[in-house]
Amino acid sequence: MSICSLNPGEKGIISSIKGDTKLVKRLFALGCIEGTEVELRRTAPLGDPIIINFRGFDLAIRKKDAKNILLKK
Amino acid sequence: MINVALLGNPNVGKTTLYNALTGSNQYVGNWPGVTVDKKEGFLSGEIKIVDLPGIYAMDTFSNEEKVSKSFLEDGDVDLILNIVDASNLNRNLYLTTQLKQFNKPIILALNMIDICESKGIVIDYEKLSKELDVEVIPIIAGKNIGIDEIEKRLKQGNFIKTLNKTKFNFSSEKEAYKFIESALDSCVTIEDKNAKTTTEILDKYVLHPILAYPIFLLLMALMFQLTFSWVGQPLSDVLDSALNDNFIPYVRMLLSSTSPWFGSLIVDGIISGVGGILVLLPIILVLFICITILEDSGYMARVAFMMDKLMRKMGLSGKAFIPMIIGFGCTVPAIMTARTLESEKDRKLTALLVPFMSCNARLPVYTVFASVFFASHRGLVVSSLYLLGVIVAFLLGILFKNTYFKKDEEPFIIEIPEYKMPKISSIYKQTKDKAMGFLQKASTIIFAMSVVVWFLSNFNLHGMVEVVDESILASIGSVIAPVFAPLGFGNWQSAVSLLSGLLAKESVLASMQVIFAGDLSEILPTHFTSISAYAFLVFILLYTPCISTIGTMYKEYGTKMTVFSIVFQLIVAWIAAFFVYNLGGSIFNVIHLFLKMNNMFV
Repeated sequence: MSICSLNPGEKGIISSIKGDTKLVKRLFALGCIEGTEVELRRTAPLGDPIIINFRGFDLAIRKKDAKNILLKK
Repeated sequence: MINVALLGNPNVGKTTLYNALTGSNQYVGNWPGVTVDKKEGFLSGEIKIVDLPGIYAMDTFSNEEKVSKSFLEDGDVDLILNIVDASNLNRNLYLTTQLKQFNKPIILALNMIDICESKGIVIDYEKLSKELDVEVIPIIAGKNIGIDEIEKRLKQGNFIKTLNKTKFNFSSEKEAYKFIESALDSCVTIEDKNAKTTTEILDKYVLHPILAYPIFLLLMALMFQLTFSWVGQPLSDVLDSALNDNFIPYVRMLLSSTSPWFGSLIVDGIISGVGGILVLLPIILVLFICITILEDSGYMARVAFMMDKLMRKMGLSGKAFIPMIIGFGCTVPAIMTARTLESEKDRKLTALLVPFMSCNARLPVYTVFASVFFASHRGLVVSSLYLLGVIVAFLLGILFKNTYFKKDEEPFIIEIPEYKMPKISSIYKQTKDKAMGFLQKASTIIFAMSVVVWFLSNFNLHGMVEVVDESILASIGSVIAPVFAPLGFGNWQSAVSLLSGLLAKESVLASMQVIFAGDLSEILPTHFTSISAYAFLVFILLYTPCISTIGTMYKEYGTKMTVFSIVFQLIVAWIAAFFVYNLGGSIFNVIHLFLKMNNMFV
């Protein structure tokens, strides 16, 4: 399952990130890597993008990109 | 000369530190080949500090990172000053691990120690220094604490060269973070994990699905009120009357003994032209101040977040929303704000579309025409113009998205920072820099244009003229006028007024008042019909903005873009006005019918 299937306030552990290389590199550099705990903070009023939180800070990311962040069951 | 490279993540106070160390000894240039600012400053005669862009890593392809990387490799750097957010070390240290690979001595400035305290985070500086093999200096840049420690250290010189590079050659981000986590485990203890921050509490309302937009509209309304009703406009009016009621008559008097054309050149040409733009300054300043406050507080990131979905339809990201909003006030600061967008293409597309957000200077023309031709539906007509501007920009955005600006969407990742109380000194400095930029660069072209326009409107082939009807400008107007014939206003007076609008949009009305000497409410209907009046307004809405904008566009994007934008806007304006004039009749009838029916039920 991806981070998009979490409800606001729920957490998960990242298993892998696929997708666009630029994006993956960016996320890795920010510390969004396998084993990192990540929380879905909230959704934008229009439904997209979302705010996720990991390693102590908030990041806004589009759902289409966030779909690629896969969580461990 | 000791060369210091200042690096750190965005939003950690790097700019504050830079300003504290270099004060007013700063210079901004450009990194060759990219539109990234090159910022250099001096702590003293011997110590130069280069403020590199805020980045998260060294290897994820952005221009900012490329520039930093090549500077560290080739740029003769003696020391790296790496500023980090001590309350967020985990992510901040990733960049640090990458910086180690350049084999330069590193001073780690641990900023925001006060936030650490309030979050219950305790850091063992000595241990951290040993683990990372860097010098550690704790600071609170915003409160000027620890800055003199850094200054002292920089002046001391004698930086230890770190030779232990092998420890930091991580083969992947995962390894790097593993190291960071174990290092932090031994140096950092957190005593209160559940403190709910102010940011969280504020965001509950600011980003609330129902409250978010009303709050946003309120803040925007406040901004525009400050700019156009309470502070900006009144100051502007004071300057205007000082200029026109005091300064100009005074100068006229001084020049009364010189030849009339010289006096006119100075007063009607240069002073009026340049002065007219300077009068804009209070408005631009107030807008800048408001924008800077919104940016520094962290609110802008949230606006980009809220508006992203809508903006994507236009081929832009949420970050482009703010320049658009600013454009409703004045296009000049809007184009300058577009700088903050990440990709070159986003910046250019935004700069092209922003002028369609009807700026405040066009309002007087709308108001007068609407009063004369659409008296009972004034408000509706004026609002329709604003809306039309937005729609046109939207449609063009979609068009460009699929053609000229076709590209893979850049991933939209923005950090939503903690809310921060903006510092007055920071606001002052940023506003001053932006204003100086506008004045210095845009004013040269304005000066030139003013002289040219003055000349064209006061001379013809026989010398100086008494009335503008006989000037070269009028001749040019007559030559151009036929172009406007299919739009319903093919007379030289309109053509000349529109031409003068290139100087400043307020000039359109001013010119008409001069040319049509008399009561506009009586004269205008003899030259326009309702439909051609609306077509005229549509043309004014969409055509090339004033030379302040042209000057700013030129400064930010160069000749090619500027010329393209001028021509492009003229074409769009022409087509739209054509459409309105020729099909407007039928549309008007439909609307009229609709309004009549509405009245029946009122």
